[in-house]
Amino acid sequence: MPRFLLNRLISMFATVFAVSIVVFLMVRFLPGNVVDVQFGGDATATPGARLEAAKRLGLDGSYAHQYWVWISRIFHGDLGKSLLTQRSIAEIFGSALPVTIELIVLGLAIAVSVAIPLGVISAVRRNSASDYASRVGGLIGLSIPNFWLATLLLIFFSRVFHWVPPLQYVSLFKHPWENLQEFFMPAVAISVFTLAIVMRMVRATMLEVLNLDYVRTARAKGVPRWRVLRKHALRNALIPVVTVVGFEVGVLIGGAAIVEIIFGLPGVGFTLLNAISNRDYPVIQNATLLIATVFVVANTLVDLIYGWLDPRISVT
Amino acid sequence: MTAASANAGWHAVPRRKLIPARWRNPIGLVGAAIVSLCILTAVLGRFIWTNDPNDPISNRLEAPSWAHPFGTDDLGRDTLARIIHGSQVSLEVGLVAISIALVVGTLIGLLAGYFGGFLDLALMRIIDILFAFPGLVLAIVIAGLLGASRRNAMLAIGVIIIPAFARVVRAAVLEVMGFPFIESARALGGGHLRIMLRHVLPNVIAPLIVLTTLYFSTAILTEAALSFLGLGTQPPEAAWGNMLQTARSYIDQSIWMSIFPGLAIMVVVLGFNFLGDGLRDVLDPRVGGGVGDVATKK
Repeated sequence: MPRFLLNRLISMFATVFAVSIVVFLMVRFLPGNVVDVQFGGDATATPGARLEAAKRLGLDGSYAHQYWVWISRIFHGDLGKSLLTQRSIAEIFGSALPVTIELIVLGLAIAVSVAIPLGVISAVRRNSASDYASRVGGLIGLSIPNFWLATLLLIFFSRVFHWVPPLQYVSLFKHPWENLQEFFMPAVAISVFTLAIVMRMVRATMLEVLNLDYVRTARAKGVPRWRVLRKHALRNALIPVVTVVGFEVGVLIGGAAIVEIIFGLPGVGFTLLNAISNRDYPVIQNATLLIATVFVVANTLVDLIYGWLDPRISVT
Repeated sequence: MTAASANAGWHAVPRRKLIPARWRNPIGLVGAAIVSLCILTAVLGRFIWTNDPNDPISNRLEAPSWAHPFGTDDLGRDTLARIIHGSQVSLEVGLVAISIALVVGTLIGLLAGYFGGFLDLALMRIIDILFAFPGLVLAIVIAGLLGASRRNAMLAIGVIIIPAFARVVRAAVLEVMGFPFIESARALGGGHLRIMLRHVLPNVIAPLIVLTTLYFSTAILTEAALSFLGLGTQPPEAAWGNMLQTARSYIDQSIWMSIFPGLAIMVVVLGFNFLGDGLRDVLDPRVGGGVGDVATKK
C-alpha cells in the first residue's frame, strides 16, 4: 500500500508538471502576441514600454526562463495580477474556487444518490418496465445539454412556482439557506449527465455481480434478499463505479463552467470565460492550470480510494 | 464450385446471423431513424421549408403557428428555418471534428500499439496529458485562444476527442497483435506498412464505428456548448447553441425560443447515442459503458 500510494503521488506530480508545460506553451504558441494585445495595436508604443510590459507579464527572456519565473512565483503564492482588474489572481481564485467546488460536490452528490438506487432497481428487475424506463431515461440524460436543462428549470420554476433563485451570489457559510437556493438549479443541471453515466454503470456491474457464485451462495443459505443486495452485491458493484466518478469530475467541471455563467455564480469557469473574452492571459494561463490540477488531484484521490476498496489492484 | 461462390458462401454466414440481431435491437433502430431524419433535414430541409433563416419576415417573438411552426425569434426570423440551418452546422461540426479525431487518434493508437516500446510510451504519455484536462474546459481554452469561430471550435472539439480514439485503437491493436496471423504475415515478408494496413487496421474497424457514432453526439453537444458561450458559430448565422444563448434574454417574453433549439440538440444527440448503443451490441460488445466514458474503461 505505501508503495502504491507513493507511485500514485509521483505520477500525479509528473502529470501536473506536464500539464503546466502544455498550458505554458498553449498560451504562447496560439496566435496573437500578448504584448501586442496589451497595447491594442498602438503603434506608438516605444520598445522600452513594450519591454516593461513583457517583463510585468513574465514574457521577457527565453521560454525556459519565462517558465521558471512563472512556476517559482506560483510556489511563492504569487500568481500575478489580472490585466483587466489589476486584482491579484491568487485572490480571485481564493473567492472563485469555493463556488466551483461547492457546485461540483453538490452535483456529484445528487448524481450518485439518485443513480445508485435507480441502477440497482434496474438491474434487479431486469427487462421490466422500470428497467426499460430507467435505461431510456439514462440515454436521455446523456443527450440533454446541461445549459438547456438549466434554462428549462429556470422557466419551469418561474412560470409554475413564481420563484427565481436569488441573483446575487452569497457564501454558504454566511447565508446557508440562500446559498443552497442559488445552487439548487445549477447543481441539478450539471448532475444529470453524470447521473445517467453512473446509473448505467451501476446497472451493468450489478447485473454482473448478481450472477456470481457468492451471491447465489448467500441467497441459498437463507440471507434475506435485501441484505444480499446491500451487503454482498452492491458493495462489490460499487467498486468500478468509483473510477467513473473520477472521470465525471472533469465533466462536472466543464458543466460548472457553463451553468456558472447562466446563474451568475462567480466560480472558476466564470472567471476563465471572462478572462478569455477579455484576453486576460495571466488569468487564462493560471485558471487552466488550476482546473487541470483539481481534475488530476481528484483522479488521484479516486485511484487511491479504488486501491483501498479493492486490494487486488494495488499491485500496479 | 468456383472460388467466387465459395467466398460468397463464407461471407453469408456471419451476415445472416447479424441481421436478426440488429432487428432485435429497437433502441438501435430508433437511433438509426432519428439520425437519418437529421441527415435528411440537413440536406433537403432548406428546399422543403424555403424561408430564409436570416430574413426577418414576421413579427418578433411569435408563438408557434401554421405559418411558423416553431415560432419566430427576437428579430422576427423563422425559428424552423434557423433550426434547419442549425442541423447543417451540427452535422458539419460533427463530421469535421470526428474526422480529425479519427485520423489523428487512429494513427497514434496504431503506431503505439504496433511498434510498442518507447514510441508507445511516449505517445501514450502525450495522450495522458490531454486526458488531464476536463474535455469541455480544454475546448473552451483552445477555441477561446484561437479566436471565436466555427472552424476553431471544430478544431478544438477534434483535439479533445483524439485521446479516446487513440486509447481504444491502441487497445484493439494490442489484442490483434497477439494473433498468429500477424506473425504469419511477417514471416511471409510483409512490411510494417502492409501489415498495419492490411492485417491490423481491418480488425479495429468495429470498435472505430461504434466510437465514431458515440462521439458524434459528444461533438454536437460540445459545439452547442461552445456556440452557447459565444466561442463557436457566430451570430447572425444560426446554430442551435447560439440560438439558445439569444433566447436567454427573452425568457420572460417567449419560452418557445428556448424550447425548440434545445429539443433539436437533444433529439439528434439521443439519435446518435441510441444508434451507437445499438451498433455496439451488434459489432463490438467489448466497448463498455456509454458516451464519454468509453475511454475510461481500463
